[in-house]
Parts: sequence; structure tokens; C-alpha cells
Amino acid sequence: MAKISELLPRSAIVLNLQSKEKSAVINELVHPLVASGAIAEESEFVSAIVRRENMESTGIGLGVAIPHARTKAVSNIVLAFGRSDTGVDFSSLDGKPSHLIFLIAAPEEQKTEYIMTLARLSKLLRRDEVRIGLNKAGSPDEVMRVIVQHES
Amino acid sequence: MQRVLLYVEDTPGMPTATAWALSLATGMSCRVFALTVIGPDAERRRDAHASDAEERAWSHLYEIEDDAFQKNVRISLLLETGDPLQELVSLSTNYDAELIVVSADCRLTCSELVRQSSRPVVFVR
Repeated sequence: MAKISELLPRSAIVLNLQSKEKSAVINELVHPLVASGAIAEESEFVSAIVRRENMESTGIGLGVAIPHARTKAVSNIVLAFGRSDTGVDFSSLDGKPSHLIFLIAAPEEQKTEYIMTLARLSKLLRRDEVRIGLNKAGSPDEVMRVIVQHES
Repeated sequence: MQRVLLYVEDTPGMPTATAWALSLATGMSCRVFALTVIGPDAERRRDAHASDAEERAWSHLYEIEDDAFQKNVRISLLLETGDPLQELVSLSTNYDAELIVVSADCRLTCSELVRQSSRPVVFVR
């Protein structure tokens, strides 16, 4: 099973998200994955992730959101990470905006790996020191260092 | 009915309880809150055992979320730390759940849950 750090390309780390609204943030995070070829069908993937957002709150609290989808538009599990200074409303149950947003794109047939990636990432992001590190990181390399350091 | 709280544990009966809750939610168009509780020591300990327990807890929740999504059921996931019975009773009030669903083989003391809860409880066997 791949580690989170192995699934997150540096090119898909956006430290200063420009968008303020959920669907625009998702698009902003999807773009680098489309540009790198990790997502083959942008519109199919975006509609899958928006559909899930409409059904669930992917804001897990603590200022974190993990929008995710499993679709045929993707051939391998891949992540994108964005940080928003102002915060974005992901309908978290704690009512607070999300500042750290990890997007997960997974192929339809890789359900187990997808679930395990979600579980590992959620566990990682519940740790105070990880969120503090990600909030302070000044470059994609520093983001990767924080993740690698705390991944078991 | 608008809100159902499903208590999630890793027991043989859990898939049946989950299916029952999702079926109810489908039929009544209500929202499911899936809750799992890890022991208070898991938060303090950061050894491999505690870490695995938390990862397993999340994976159970996301399995249920994926099932709910396929069935068009709205769902929210809750992972809390503390005493399971106290957390379940407290969160059922906080989220204004109208029904608590638990598997009949859960590790909670069922009589205590019924006694302490102000919400109806269904034990699914």
C-alpha cells in the first residue's frame, strides 16, 4: 500500500489557494492533476467529486477537508493538497472553515486502496503537529517533509 | 425522521446493522451520522497499536460512507475519543438524532445504553 507522500506529487501542492468557494477550490486542485495527466477526464472527475460533496460533508473538522471520488476518469490513486488562509466552507460538522484541503482521486476498481488512503490521511491529519506543520510550511518540499516525518 | 445515529464497531454483526440503517435512511430520506469511538489512551499513545486502531476505525467509517454514497444516503462521519457509551449518548443529543442504531453484538452494555439514552435505540441482530 502506497504512502501518502508517494501519492502526492509536488506539482499538486498549492500553498496559496486563490478560490474562496468550495467548487472553485476543487477545480483549482484538479487542474494540476489534469495537467500532469493523472486525471484523464476532468469534467467526469469534477462531476463525481461534486456529487459526493452534495451527499456528504467531507470537512472532517479541525480545519481539514478531504474531498474525494472514485471514478473511471482516473487510472491510479493520486492526491492534491491546497492551503487556504481565509478558509473554505466544506460543511464541517464543527461549523468551522477548512484551511487544509486534500483531494483524493481514485480509480473505480481500487476501492480497498481508496478506503485505506482516506483512513491513513484522516488519521495523519488529526495529529496537531501535522496540521501545525502543514500550516507553517513555506514550500512544497516542506509540506512533503512534514508528511514523510509523521507517516508511520 | 431526519437523523439516525449509527454506532460503528468492528464486530461480526456490524455489516447487518449498517445495512439496516442505510436501508432505513434510504426509505425515509434521512441523514446518517456514523460514529466510532476510540479509547482515550489511543489519543495519548502514539505507538503502532494505537495508530493501527485509529486507522482501522477510519477505514470502517469510510467503508460505510462509500456504501451510503452508492445508495444515495447522506452521511457524516464522526470519530471521537473517550468512553464509547458516554460519547454515543452525548452525541445523539448534540446532533439531535431521532434514533440510535447499534449492532446487537456491540461491546456496549446494552441495558446501560437504553437507561442513559434519551433517544430510542434499535439493536440489530
